[in-house]
Amino acid sequence: MRILAGTVFLLALAGTAVAQQADNVFPFDYQVVELENGFKAYLINAGAPGQIAYVSMVRTGSRDEVEEGKTGFAHFFEHMMFRGTEKYPNFDSVTASMGAARNAFTSNDMTVYYEVAPSEYLETLVDLESDRFMNLSYAEPDFRTEAGAVLGEYQQGARSPFRYLSEAVRTTAYDAHTYRHTTIGFEADVRAMPEGYDYSIGFHRRFYRPENVVLVLVGDFDFGEAERLIREYYTQWEPGYQTPDIPVEPRQTRARRRTVEYPGRTLPVLSINYKAPAWSPTDRNTVALQVLGRVAFGSTSDLYKELVVRERQVQYLNSSFGLARDPGLVSISTMVMNPREVRAVETRILGTVDEFKTDLVDEQVLADAKSNMKYGFLMGLETAQQVAFSMIGYVIRTGGIEAVEDYYRTLDAVTAEDVRAAAQQWLVDSGKTTVTMVQRRGR
Amino acid sequence: MMKRLALLPALLFVVGACEPAVEGAVTMREADSPFIAFNVWVKAGSQNDPAGKEGLAALTASLLSDGSTTQDSYDDILAKLYPMAAGYGYQVDKEMTVFRGRVHQDNLDAYYELFRNSILSPAWSEEDFERVKSQTMNYLERTRRYGRDEELSKELLFSIAYEGTPYAHPEEGYVQSVASITLDDVQQFYADHYLANNVVVGIGGGYPKGFVQQARADFDALPTGEVIQPAAPQPNMPDGVKVLIVEKDVDATPISMGFPTQLKRGHEDFWPMVAMNSWFGEHRESFSHLYNVIRETRGMNYGDYSYIEAYPRGYTTQVPPTNVSRQSQLFEIWIRPISLTAPGNLHERTLFATRAAWRELKDIVDNGMTDETLGDTKQFLRNYALNWGQTISRRLGYAMDDEFYGMDPGYLREIRPGLDRLTLEQVNAAIQEHLQYDNMWVVFITADAQAMKRKLLSGVATPITYAGEKPAELLAEDELIASFPIQVDEEDITIIGIEEVFESN
Repeated sequence: MRILAGTVFLLALAGTAVAQQADNVFPFDYQVVELENGFKAYLINAGAPGQIAYVSMVRTGSRDEVEEGKTGFAHFFEHMMFRGTEKYPNFDSVTASMGAARNAFTSNDMTVYYEVAPSEYLETLVDLESDRFMNLSYAEPDFRTEAGAVLGEYQQGARSPFRYLSEAVRTTAYDAHTYRHTTIGFEADVRAMPEGYDYSIGFHRRFYRPENVVLVLVGDFDFGEAERLIREYYTQWEPGYQTPDIPVEPRQTRARRRTVEYPGRTLPVLSINYKAPAWSPTDRNTVALQVLGRVAFGSTSDLYKELVVRERQVQYLNSSFGLARDPGLVSISTMVMNPREVRAVETRILGTVDEFKTDLVDEQVLADAKSNMKYGFLMGLETAQQVAFSMIGYVIRTGGIEAVEDYYRTLDAVTAEDVRAAAQQWLVDSGKTTVTMVQRRGR
Repeated sequence: MMKRLALLPALLFVVGACEPAVEGAVTMREADSPFIAFNVWVKAGSQNDPAGKEGLAALTASLLSDGSTTQDSYDDILAKLYPMAAGYGYQVDKEMTVFRGRVHQDNLDAYYELFRNSILSPAWSEEDFERVKSQTMNYLERTRRYGRDEELSKELLFSIAYEGTPYAHPEEGYVQSVASITLDDVQQFYADHYLANNVVVGIGGGYPKGFVQQARADFDALPTGEVIQPAAPQPNMPDGVKVLIVEKDVDATPISMGFPTQLKRGHEDFWPMVAMNSWFGEHRESFSHLYNVIRETRGMNYGDYSYIEAYPRGYTTQVPPTNVSRQSQLFEIWIRPISLTAPGNLHERTLFATRAAWRELKDIVDNGMTDETLGDTKQFLRNYALNWGQTISRRLGYAMDDEFYGMDPGYLREIRPGLDRLTLEQVNAAIQEHLQYDNMWVVFITADAQAMKRKLLSGVATPITYAGEKPAELLAEDELIASFPIQVDEEDITIIGIEEVFESN
């Protein structure tokens, strides 16, 4: 049989502004370029020779949709960013001629645009991206046409049980904050999007400003050349970001419960959610809450072993303790095999919550969870695009990537007592929202 | 404990290097990579499922991947993998089963032991079997029918095109067939197919010297035996247009259409058809011509693409799947769900989009590509394809497929020179050879299937309207699309209810 092997082509690391310490988790040196208008770019040599990943991170997402009837608009606007400018009327054909992989995505706290392309196109990309962020221009008929594509995107996932569940959890758990709606938005708002042309112009003017956008450029390029290009093309971008007036979620005072019907066939899905703090790289209690999600409900937890592996009462047990830019939710969800056992499973989960409020987590379990989090980070740093994407969470929540090391230092310091304290503070009835999704009757 | 990551080679720079060949192994050593990727290929897939036990190959792989071994219980395996943030999984297609894994070099030895044991020394625990079977049954009875209509329409297209062949059933099987599978069935399938001479061990990345020999020797502990593989299936070229309408309470309709081709990797027309397909319908790319006609210009849906090779679960990925190698392929058009925009207009819009795609297919068959479109495609694809081999796991996956098709040099190394060599004449001759528009399998999942059937049979024009103004030339073209003929006879339209889908053979 044939043997293939790669000749490894190492890139020389150029002079850097931030040299990595021996005990750092993030294994690459990087350089920061900061412009007077507030724009920041992080330059990282990593990944394969001859390629770059050009990732523009906008710190605006569905979180910023504060106006009535405008849910889903940040995502819709992401689509409009591909509709061209006066200088480059056809963004797609220019990037296609590079053979670039290009796309974008939107979530609660962010809108992220990326191209992965040969290094020779660096200047073209800097020109193209700075141009569309500054000078986006589209006509109303194009805007209306794109609204149809967004409706199609809404529809392709509309039957997913997880969208039903997510909408039900959000509308039950939140009273005021914009995390109340999903990123794709409510269907009525999506169908009304063709009428929002003027609003879209204002959306660009308010949010697509240099203070609110961070570029992470990763790959095979010369630092000095990249810095020169970034200064040349982005300096004239005028600041003017308007901070949205995002409603502060009032303090929840009692547990909430709701049952929602799914219009297809499903086993019951139980979702237990607790109000949680905003993400922090330095607050031990907050990082301990993330650790708690893993040790109490992760794939090696006692609860998982019992419910999923040994007793097989549930199809799966998932926990989501990722934390967001603003205070949000942590979640435990499970699909119950026997509809009559939903309450029993809920009791088991709540029993685990109580155990972690009283007992200290085993030291080896804690050490394994920390190891998992670090290796999980390292395992995701194989390509230039992966390296850039691994920085998204830090950029969106803090405006830069410096918090990476803070976060892992804080993680190292988390103790079993911190994990217990996090359970006592956050997994409380007064912050709890329980949603059960069941099959619609008659099905 | 943490090590600085080495910088990895791009596809562009991957070149052969000398390393002793190991029989029964595909290797891709990248010595400075901190990652090691595994890909163990068992030459058995859903086409090897016995009649009445459809889904057996998949359930076997599932139990190996998610079950206990004679050394470790399943929860102990999870506990050991956890600190490494590593895992392994399986994929079963028509002809291939693969087990894939990836680990950081710090943890290679401990990881490899778990990965190897999962395939070589399963515990055959009844509890594990019940768990994975119940998960499969839940998928078959609920998720597959209700979770995502567009994937279901694609599966149904393959099912009707390959009816009567070992490719006909979905890899996961039917509700009734999986319900009948026992642990004994699984053990028998393993005994029949998991043979030393039927397994190829793929390893890539920064593994130490001698590691491949050790791994191959481990897998040589499997018994050897004779394996008789089914002949390549002969799919059914429809005589005219054959339509399947699935009745379901929806307000958006996915469309899948296609027909069999003789094309596969290694065929002399393969690269010409790769170029054609990239221009006509590159997967989830705005470069796709169908995308431009239906989504970009008319805003009818989320995307429109075409395929010359199987592309399951395309909604989850933008890069082509590896290890779905097949001896028989379809040409396939995927039109993502078309939404109702006003009461009662779902069928008109669905048929308009169907006609638009069909008309474009007729155009490329009748007129071929041009120097300009071929030039644009070469320019696009020669760099775009670099994105398909970005990780060691994907490069290894491609190498396993090269082994399946006997491609040397392999796909990733050959695509650029293959494209560069193409002439317009070659591409247009290949289009003439492999594409046509008279014979077509078509699948719709829609509400009020009888009304859809009547509309399709009536042949009436199905115009659409827009939320905004459109140029006169586009509206003129719309008139042609709306009345594009789809010749179909009543007896060639089948309607089934959603609860009947994949219930049994």
